[in-house]
Amino acid sequence: MKKFIESQFDAQRHLFEEGGKLHWAWPLFEGQETFFLTPRHKTKHGAHVRDRMDMKRLMIFVLYALAPAILMGWYNIGYQGYLAEGVASPGVVDCMLRGGIAMIPVIITSYTAGGIAELIFCIVRKHEINEGFLVTAMLYPLTLPPTIPLWMAAIGIIFGVVIGKEVFGGVGMNILNPALTARAFVFFTYPAVISGASIWDLGGKGLLSSGPVADGYTGATPLLAASSGALVDGTASQNATEILHSYGFEWSNMALGLIPGSMGEVSAIGAALGAVFLIATGIASWRIMFSAVAGLMATSAIFNALVIYGLVGPDHGSMMTLPPHYHLVMGGFMFGAVFMATDPCSSAVTDIGRLIYGFLIGVLCALVRVVNPAYPEGMMLAILFMNVFAPLIDYFIVKQTTRRRAARMATA
Amino acid sequence: MPDHVVRKGLDIPIAGGASGPPAVLEAPATVAYSPVEFKGIVPRLSVREGDTVKRGTPLFHAKAHHGMQFLSPVEGTVKEIRRGHRRVITDLVIERTGDGVHTYPPIDPASADADTIRAALLERGQWAAFRTRPLDNIPRFDAVPQAILVCATESGPLMPGADVLLDPADKEFLQAGLAALAKLAPQVHLAVPKGTTHPALQGLSGVQVHGFSGPHPSGDPSLQVNLVCPPKAGGQVWYCRAWDVAEMGRVLKTGEFPGQRVYAAVGVGCAQPRFVKTTMGAPLAHVVGAHGEGPMRWIRGSVLTGEAVGAERWMSHFARAVHVLPDEVESELLGWALPMFGTWSFHKTFLKAFTGAGAKVDMRPGIFGGERAIVPIGVYGKVVATPDVLPEFLFKSIVANDLEEAIQLGLLDITAEEAALCTYICPSKVEFDVLLKKGLELYEKEAS
Repeated sequence: MKKFIESQFDAQRHLFEEGGKLHWAWPLFEGQETFFLTPRHKTKHGAHVRDRMDMKRLMIFVLYALAPAILMGWYNIGYQGYLAEGVASPGVVDCMLRGGIAMIPVIITSYTAGGIAELIFCIVRKHEINEGFLVTAMLYPLTLPPTIPLWMAAIGIIFGVVIGKEVFGGVGMNILNPALTARAFVFFTYPAVISGASIWDLGGKGLLSSGPVADGYTGATPLLAASSGALVDGTASQNATEILHSYGFEWSNMALGLIPGSMGEVSAIGAALGAVFLIATGIASWRIMFSAVAGLMATSAIFNALVIYGLVGPDHGSMMTLPPHYHLVMGGFMFGAVFMATDPCSSAVTDIGRLIYGFLIGVLCALVRVVNPAYPEGMMLAILFMNVFAPLIDYFIVKQTTRRRAARMATA
Repeated sequence: MPDHVVRKGLDIPIAGGASGPPAVLEAPATVAYSPVEFKGIVPRLSVREGDTVKRGTPLFHAKAHHGMQFLSPVEGTVKEIRRGHRRVITDLVIERTGDGVHTYPPIDPASADADTIRAALLERGQWAAFRTRPLDNIPRFDAVPQAILVCATESGPLMPGADVLLDPADKEFLQAGLAALAKLAPQVHLAVPKGTTHPALQGLSGVQVHGFSGPHPSGDPSLQVNLVCPPKAGGQVWYCRAWDVAEMGRVLKTGEFPGQRVYAAVGVGCAQPRFVKTTMGAPLAHVVGAHGEGPMRWIRGSVLTGEAVGAERWMSHFARAVHVLPDEVESELLGWALPMFGTWSFHKTFLKAFTGAGAKVDMRPGIFGGERAIVPIGVYGKVVATPDVLPEFLFKSIVANDLEEAIQLGLLDITAEEAALCTYICPSKVEFDVLLKKGLELYEKEAS
């Protein structure tokens, strides 16, 4: 099998090499060859032997880490659809089928549209295909509602790949996380499609629909509900947990991810499993994840304390009372902290810098959720904002390190 | 004895290590020097093709200082002077004819003054054993170091250490050499493996002894200088190897240049990896003996920082090992996505990173990936043991040709071995050791 594939590539190689007819498509050839076969290039300069780890493996392992979140989200799309239509206990196979019909086209669209943009850039700029794209094009659809029109998803990923990454010079040079750049583009360009109640589920829509949406179903996400300041029956309330319970949101089903939300980010447990895998394999920074969780929980605990000690007025808003462990499992926080904030290219690089960077993401996320009335969820904005500040954080840590070095070298 | 436990670094578990006592080989028919190996020294030949020399006769000297000489390891005739690009002398080949010795007057390092010792070390071919920190150059003939660190440790992959290279019977000469160094520098440090029981390293006087342990580069003298006695305020610190110091002591005390070396022939390309005792600058094939079929890469030194040379050449003046590495790389089907249970890696995306402790891995000189921009997943800092160096930022400043920034970030501190380890582990396949050389060259160009 290997020999056959090797011979196929060897037979075509001359066409794509320097001077060949199809040399312009070299990145395409190279990308395909290295997809099938690990490269046979030998070392010429520097250390004679090298580790077997490469960028492709790094990126595919991020995809492996995404598997629990994807599977949970996949199931949940179908589950929410049936729930909205009043089906009490839909079968697993039905949920997966219905979820797949909604989710897979968006993922395929993301890979195709983004892939074409990526390939054009590779050919024009004559560099090899950056496998970071594999991760970007998977992360992006997972942050979208299942009901998003495919053309919109396509425009978003093209924007993310081109403006978020390629204009800076590709993976490693980008300032912002490309997947979040894509999502932010869709978020601000088509706000009606990506925010608000009842966009997150397929209730009454699509193939395999069992009927119209049942009476009394709201389709609100937990964050939207918790910030609404009213129970599901319209009674005003300043107690976020009470409101959530009235909507049927318990901590347990929010942690599992059986709630309306983006396709892949609903399950905090799914993201946490991914986190364990990423930390064990040494791919993502535990410092960022840990400090983001700490930042979110500390800030929300402070808001809770303000309410408890009566330091804010009576109409402080229901979000102030949301306990830290609820914050943790709601919205896209866990997914963002594990997969988005840890993007090594757009995060801080120094160890201490990563702790600060992650902590501030947690703080900002809680701030946007609780204090900002416009957006119920703040994770995307928190990460993008801190992406911009990451070089500044590093700058101070680097300065401190060089000062320490200089002091050590000066004393005899 | 202050102990230094180096926690950062990596012992690359490459297969093909030698074991056992050194086999004494018959003298080879030819030996050679590579003057081009003496970085920063412009050679002026003292002999011509066809001249006869004795063991200890100067072959060439430094253009900058005629007193800095390099001696013939055998009695014989100068057979050939091979030149390379821009007529640099690549090999000075001597055909061995006998064992006649050119002797020098004995000097007692304990009673001689510093100038006598300096002149004798220069004259008797010993000066190139010294290296400066920063820059790892051979020191100028008149330079004065802030300290000298004598390194009796080795941690490079499959490189021989004191147990092989330092003869217990040479303790007397090692002590004499250390006494000579004490005349050249206000402080002399000796780095030994922590808890060593080597007889020649016990009870030495006139030095501060430091024990080192931990993964490579714990045994690298450049790192040890960084940890023990970093150069202050633009000055320089020298380092050298304990076995070279023993040779210095012997040459001073007896006046006779031994011209003998213990070498290691390692790597899975050797039919039988081994230690040998033979003439300095012996042919590679003489040291290696039988080797495997197929294309081989002959590396003078270690797989991390050694130099690949043609099989027909000779041993390095400096490196005490030749690594024979099969020069073929096989591809693997979908290797990037599969678990690859049998493959060892520094990175924990391979199961063997967890379970492969103590394994010996048959490595090949493949890159195993496409070159990408640096994606800082925080791995480089795990193999850089020099304190207060942030490798990602340092190397980016070198890429940007920002010399001032690079110096502030530790361009002159980070060691060649550390940069090579960064190259080894890099998932983006960036060649940091090449970058470091580029940065240091830029520095030397600007400084001169």
